[in-house]
Amino acid sequence: MFARLLSAVVLATVTAIAAHASAAEVNASDADTVEVDFATRVAPILRRKCLSCHNDDTHEGGLTLQSVAAVRDGGDSGEVVVAGQPNASYLVDLITPVDGEAEMPQGGKPLPDDEQAILRQWIASGAQWPADYVVDPETWWSLRPLERPSMPKLSGERAAWCRTPIDRFIAARHEQLGLQPAAEADRRTLIRRLSFDLTGLPPTPAEIDAFLADTSPGAYERLVDRLLDSPRYGERWARHWLDVVHYGETHGYDKDKPRPNAWPYRDYVIRAFNEDKPYAQFIEEQVAGDVLHAGSVDGIEALGFIAAGPWHFIGHAEVPESKIDGKVARHLDRDDMVRTTMLTFVSLTVGCAQCHDHKFDPITQREYYGLQSVFAALDRADREYYADPALTQKHDALWAQRRTLEVERDALAATITEQGGEALADVRERLAAAEKSSERPTQYGYHSAIESDDASEDADGVKWVQVDLGGDVPIQQIELIACDDDFNNIGPGFGFPVRYKVELADDADFGEGVRCVADRTVDDVENPGTAPQSIALGSQTAHYVRVTATKLAPRQNDFIFALAELKVLDDSGENVALGKAVTARDSIESGERWGRENLVDGLYPNAAADPEAIAALEAERDATLQREVDAAVVARQQDVAAHLAEVTAEIDALPPAQRVFAGTVHYGSGAFRGTGPDGGRPRPVFVLARGDVTKPGGEATPGALACIAGLEASFVDTVAEPEGQRRARLAKWLASPDNPLTWRSIVNRVWQYHFGRGIVATPEDFGHMGELPTHPELLDWLAVEFRDGGGSLKQLHRLIVTSAVYRQSSRLNDCPQCNAAPDADAASKVDPRDVDVDNRFLWRANRRQLEAEALRDAILSVSGRLDLEMGGPSFQDFVVERPEHSPHYEYRLHDPEDPHCHRRSIYRFIVRSQTQPFMTALDCADPSIMVSRRNQTITPLQALTMLNNKLALVMARHFAERIAQTSDDVDAQITDAYQIALGRSPNNDELESLREYAAVYGMANVCRVIMNLNEFAFVD
Amino acid sequence: MQRSSAFPHGQELTPLSRREFLWRSGGGLGGIALASMLAEEGVLGAATSTSVLHHPPKARRVVQLFMAGAASHIDLFDYKPALVKHHGEPADFGEHVEAFQDGLGPWLRPVWEFQPYGQSGKMLSEVVAPLGDVVDELAFVHNMVGKTGVHSQATLLQATGFNRPGFPSMGSWISYGLGSMNDDLPAFVVLPDHRGLASNGTKNWDSAFLPSQHQGTVIYPGRENAIADLFPDEHGDYITNASSAATVPLLNRLNRHHAEQRSGDGRLEARIRSYELAARMQLAAPEALGFADEPEHVLRLYGLDNIPASYPEEINAREESVYFSTKCLVARRLLERGVRFVQIWSGNDNGFPRRNWDSHEDVQRDHGPLAEGMARGCAALIRDLQQRGLLDDTIVLWTTEFGRMPSSQGGKGRDHNPYVFTNWLCGGGIKGGISYGPSDEWGYKPLDRDRPTQVYDIHATILHQLGIDHERLTFRNNGIDRRLTDVHGHVIHELIS
Repeated sequence: MFARLLSAVVLATVTAIAAHASAAEVNASDADTVEVDFATRVAPILRRKCLSCHNDDTHEGGLTLQSVAAVRDGGDSGEVVVAGQPNASYLVDLITPVDGEAEMPQGGKPLPDDEQAILRQWIASGAQWPADYVVDPETWWSLRPLERPSMPKLSGERAAWCRTPIDRFIAARHEQLGLQPAAEADRRTLIRRLSFDLTGLPPTPAEIDAFLADTSPGAYERLVDRLLDSPRYGERWARHWLDVVHYGETHGYDKDKPRPNAWPYRDYVIRAFNEDKPYAQFIEEQVAGDVLHAGSVDGIEALGFIAAGPWHFIGHAEVPESKIDGKVARHLDRDDMVRTTMLTFVSLTVGCAQCHDHKFDPITQREYYGLQSVFAALDRADREYYADPALTQKHDALWAQRRTLEVERDALAATITEQGGEALADVRERLAAAEKSSERPTQYGYHSAIESDDASEDADGVKWVQVDLGGDVPIQQIELIACDDDFNNIGPGFGFPVRYKVELADDADFGEGVRCVADRTVDDVENPGTAPQSIALGSQTAHYVRVTATKLAPRQNDFIFALAELKVLDDSGENVALGKAVTARDSIESGERWGRENLVDGLYPNAAADPEAIAALEAERDATLQREVDAAVVARQQDVAAHLAEVTAEIDALPPAQRVFAGTVHYGSGAFRGTGPDGGRPRPVFVLARGDVTKPGGEATPGALACIAGLEASFVDTVAEPEGQRRARLAKWLASPDNPLTWRSIVNRVWQYHFGRGIVATPEDFGHMGELPTHPELLDWLAVEFRDGGGSLKQLHRLIVTSAVYRQSSRLNDCPQCNAAPDADAASKVDPRDVDVDNRFLWRANRRQLEAEALRDAILSVSGRLDLEMGGPSFQDFVVERPEHSPHYEYRLHDPEDPHCHRRSIYRFIVRSQTQPFMTALDCADPSIMVSRRNQTITPLQALTMLNNKLALVMARHFAERIAQTSDDVDAQITDAYQIALGRSPNNDELESLREYAAVYGMANVCRVIMNLNEFAFVD
Repeated sequence: MQRSSAFPHGQELTPLSRREFLWRSGGGLGGIALASMLAEEGVLGAATSTSVLHHPPKARRVVQLFMAGAASHIDLFDYKPALVKHHGEPADFGEHVEAFQDGLGPWLRPVWEFQPYGQSGKMLSEVVAPLGDVVDELAFVHNMVGKTGVHSQATLLQATGFNRPGFPSMGSWISYGLGSMNDDLPAFVVLPDHRGLASNGTKNWDSAFLPSQHQGTVIYPGRENAIADLFPDEHGDYITNASSAATVPLLNRLNRHHAEQRSGDGRLEARIRSYELAARMQLAAPEALGFADEPEHVLRLYGLDNIPASYPEEINAREESVYFSTKCLVARRLLERGVRFVQIWSGNDNGFPRRNWDSHEDVQRDHGPLAEGMARGCAALIRDLQQRGLLDDTIVLWTTEFGRMPSSQGGKGRDHNPYVFTNWLCGGGIKGGISYGPSDEWGYKPLDRDRPTQVYDIHATILHQLGIDHERLTFRNNGIDRRLTDVHGHVIHELIS
C-alpha cells in the first residue's frame, strides 16, 4: 500500500497547513524530502492512531485528518494544527499525557514518546503536507477485496510433494520455515480419519478391507466420493453448523419450555449439506428464504436459523413491550438475531457495538442498530407451511385475506357504534344483559378442592360428586353440563374432567351393585365447552347418581373438577335431580358462585334464556341501526361478515399444516402481540445510549456495514417496503460475491473442521481481536476457488482431503526431521518442534479427539445398535416431569435401552437449561452460546462418565452380544471387537491381556474396556 | 515432585503440547490460566499456583447461598419502621412504578417482628432469629440493585454477571482463576434444591466458554447417586467391584502402549491420568458426603439430630431446616477437604405449590418455613466454620435474584422489586457487624439512588479478597476479553476489615 501511495505523490507541490489558512508553496526540491517524511513518518501515525474515528466518513468531533484541506478546517473545537507552533496546536494538547493519560487516542494508551515527538517536530517544522496527499485509513486484512493469488514457485522436491494447489501454498511456507512434511499416513489410518471427518462414524471392517484391497489408481478419491455421497455426511456436517448457530429445542431462561417444531430447521441443514446446496443460496434461505426463495419448503424451514438461539419466554409472553423488562427482552432477542447472523456468515463480533462504536473494528453503534432494524418485525414462533408450495401460498393468501377483513370489520363496527350513538349503546347494553343472564348465571356450579396433580397416576386422587334422588327413580337420560369461568381465560368447559365415569347405585357409598353407565376413563375426552353431555340409559332405576373424575382438569398451575349441572331425566323427561341433596368427596363452598347445591339448581351456562325478550330486543336494535346508521355501512358490515365466514371456512378446510419454529411475523394477542396485528410493520429501533432501553436516541434505519467496499450498506430505501425486503437486502449483502468476509469465513470454518484449527485460528472473529491467518494466500485462493466454483462445499471437501497436507501422518515417527540421522545435513536437523511447536504450519497431521457426538455415535455403531433413521422429531433421552410450569428434564430417569434414543446424536432433543450430562462432560456445544470452536478438555469426570454412564454400559453389553454371534472363541471375539471398534487386529500383548481379563470378568467388561481406550477416543 | 490432582487447573502436559492443549481448550492468548501454566513450566519463575494471584489473598474459599425466587429483604433483614407505621395505607412511591405483576397494593408491614441482636444491635426478623447468634460476623449490603424484574435474567445476573445465558458462573471463574486446592474432589461444587432447579437450570453454574472442568459439579446429598456417574449405573449389572478394580490398570497398560507409539502428545498421557484420578474421586467423594464421623454436638448445631421419619405434606420449617442444614454441613465437609467454591440453593423453579421464595401470594406461608430453615443452617455453618478456624479464609455470600416490594400483592404477597434488595457476606476478611448502603425508608430503592451497589461490586470484592484483580481475570470469547464483572465493578473497601 505504501508503495502505491508513494508513487501517487510524485508531486511538485507541497502544502503546509498554514496558521491562517493560506497554503505556503515550497519548491520542488525541498518537497521530496518533506514528502517522504510525511508519508513515512507522520501519515502512518495518523492512519493507525487517528483515522478510525477522524476520517471523512465518521469525522468524530467534526474532525477528519485525511487531507490537508480537512485538517486546515479543524474540528468542532476549531483549529487543531498551527503550523510552526506545536505549543499552540490543540492536537499536541490532546495527545500529550497528563498523569499517564492522554485525551487522544480516546480510550486507548497514549502515543509512544517517539510518535508524540514526530508529530510535534512535524508541526514545528511547518506541518508540511504534500498537496493532494490523502491518507487512506488502513484496510484490515479480512476486509480487503478477494483476489486470486498466484501460485507460489517451488523447488523440484517441494513441488513433487504437492498433490493439489493447496499443497503448493503449504509447501511454500514449509520452505520458508525450513520444515519438511511428514510421510503420508497408511491406508488404515486414512480411512478411519476420512470416515470420522466426513461422516462422523468409524469405518466398518468390510469398508476397511475393501479400501485396503483396492490398489487401482483413484481408490482414495473413490473413497472420498463414497463418503461425501453418504447421507451420513450431511448429518455430520450439519452438527458443526448447528454449533455455530446455537440451535436448541427449548427456549432457555425461565421455565425453559420445549420447541416441538424446531427440528425441521435441523433437517433442512442436513438436507442442504447432502444436496450440496450452493452456499450463496444456503445463506439467502436462512436469512430471507421466504422472500428470495418464495414458494419452496427450504425457503421456510431455513428461517429456523433466525430463531435457533435462546428466547426469553417470560419476557415476551408475560411482559408486554410497553414495560422496561419487555423492552429488554425484545432488545436481547434482536441482539441475538444480529449477532448470530453476523458471526455465522461473516465472522464479525458486531455485538460489541451495542453500547458504543466497536473499539477495534470499523463497526459503528448506528450500524449495529441498523442491523437490529433489519429484524425488527420478527419474533420467534411457529410458522405454518405445506410440503406443497401451492398450498402454502393458498394458506398465506387466505390468512392475509382474513386479517384484512378483520381489520375492516373492526373499523366498520367502530363506525356503527359512533353513528349509533347513545340509542344504539342503550339497546345493546340491554340485549347483552338479557343474553348474559342466560349465558352464565352467577351460580356457577360444583367445584372440588384444588390439587397439584391431575390424579391420573394416582387412583386415590380422584374426585367425585353425587346426587341423592331420594328413592329409586327410573332414569331415561343423564346430562352433564360444564361450567363457564373466565379464570385464567379458561371460559366454557372450565373444570370439566379430562377423564371420568358416571355410575348408578342404590347405596350412598357406592359399595355394591354399582352400574357404570358411561366410562370415559381410558382416553382423554375433548373438552365439550358448555354443550350438554347426554348419556342415554334406556330406563334404569337407581337411588344415587355419581360422577367421578379420574383425571382432573388443568388450570394454569393446578388441577380441579367442576360441573355446572347434573340433570337426571326420568321417563317423562322431567329433571328429577333438581334441588336434591348433593354430596362430594370434597368441595369448595364459596359465596354464590361455587357450592355443591349449585349442581342441581337448574342454573347453568347457555340454559334456555327468555327467547321472546331477546327477540324483542334484537328487533329494537335492528330498528335503531336502521334509524341511526348509514345504510351503506350496515350493508358493508353484512358483506364483510359473510366474506369473513367464507374465508374462515376455507381456512378450516385446509389440511393440517406443518410447522417450523422460525423467525417470523407473529400474530398474537396480550403481552406477546408481535407485529402481525400492525400489518407486520417493523418496530422502530432506536440507537440506545450505552445499550440502555430507557435511553433511546435517534431512530436507526435498516442497513449492513459500510466497511465492505463496493456493497451498498444502507437499506433505507426498503423502509416503506414489506419487512422481508430488509432481510432480503441483508441476505444479498451477505451472499454477494463481493463480500470478502463471507467466502473467507466459510472456507476457514471448513478447513478448521478438517485440520483441528483454522487458517485463521479464530473462525468467529476476523476483526482486530482475532488471529491473523497463517496462510493468507491459501485462504484467499480457497475462498476464490469456492466462490467461483459455485459455492460447492462437497467440492471444497474434495479439494482439501485429497491434498498431500491432509494425508500426512500425525506421528512424530513419520516426520523426517524428528528422526534425522546424526550425520544428516543441517536442513534435515531442523526440529519442527522448535520452529512450530503448535503445528500451525502443518508439518504433520493433528491427532483429533472425537467430539461428544462422534464418540456417542461410535459407541452405538460398534455395538450394532445404531438406528440410522433420518429426520423428523428428535428423540428424547430424558423423562419430563412437571411439564405444566417449568418442565424438569430428568435424564437420570430415562431407560437407556429405549431404542428411540439409539439414533445418531444429531437427532437428540437439545435442552438448554438442563444439558445432557454425558454429552456435556464430553464438551458438546452449549446451545446457549455460538460455538465456532469447541473446547476440548480431558477431565476425571469424562473418565467417570465413559466408565459408568448407563448408555455406555448397556452398549458395551450389546457389543459383547454382537461379537458373540460370529464366534464362540474368545480370541476371535476380541479380534472381532478390535476390528469393529479400532479398525485393526489386536497384537499379541493386547490379545493376551484381554483374554485373561475376559476369562474372569466376561466379554461385556472387555467391551467396556475397549470403548474406554484412548485409541477409541482419538483419531490419528 | 508435583502432586497430581483429580481436578487440575490445567493438565500437566509435555511442553510441546501444553500450549497446544491450552489453545484447544479455548484459552487463546488470554488470561490467567496461561500465566499459571507458564508458571508451572517455570517460564515465569515461581512454580506455585499462587503465582496467578494479583495480590496476597485474604480468603481462599467461597460459599454462595442462593435464594431462588427472590427473598424479601423487608421481611428478613432490612427493617422498615415506616411500613409498620403506614401499614394498610395506599402505597405512594412518589413516582410511577413499573411492577412485574400488579403488586402495588397498600403498604404491607414486615410479616414478622424485628428485634436487635448482637453487639451491633442489628435488627433482624424473628423468622431468621438463629442468625442473631452470628450477626456480628455479618456485613449487610442493603442497597443492591438489579437490572430486571424477571427471574431468569436476574438469576443469571447474580450468578454469572450477565443477564443472558452463555457466561461462566462466579464459581467457574474462581475455579479457572485459582484452580483446585485438593487432589480428588472438584474445585466447584453445587448443591441444588432437591425439588428442582431454579430458573435457567444448570446454566447458573455453567462454565460456558471456560473449559468444562470449571463447571460446577452437582451433588445431591442423600440421593442414591449423589454424583452422576461416580459409580457404574445399575444397567451395568455385569460389573463387579473386582472387575472395576481390574479395569483401570488394564486400561492404563493398553493406553500406555498406544501412547508410546505416539510420542509427543501429552493428551494421551493426560487421559490415562484422568482414569487414575477418577478412581481416587470414587474413594474421596462418599467419605466427604457422609456424616457418620460427625459428633453429636455438631449434628445438634445444625439441627440434624433426631431427624423426623416423615413430614407433613404442607411446607414446614422442620423439613426445610433439615434439607438446608444438610447442604450446609456437606458444604463445610467439602470446604475442609479443599473444595474452593460451594454453591447452595434454596428454592426450586417458581412452580406450585411454592417451594421457593417467589411469594406473590403469601409471604408468611412460603417465606416462613424457608427462612427458618435457611437461618438455622446458615448460622450453624458460620459458627462451625468459625470454630474450626475456617471462617477466617472462607467468604460466605447470601444472595438472591432481587427483593420484594414494600407494597402488597393480593393482601398477603409481595411483587418483585429489582430496584433494591439485600446481600450479606461474612468471613474471609469481611468486616462483621456492619450494614452498608442503606435502602430508603420503604425499602423500595437505595437511599442514595446515585450510588447503589451492583452485583459487579460484590463479585469484584470477593475476587479481591481471593487475591484477584477482577479487571485482569479475563478469557477471550468470540472476540471479546470477557470478565466476571463485564466492564463494571468496584471493590467495596468499606466491607473489608
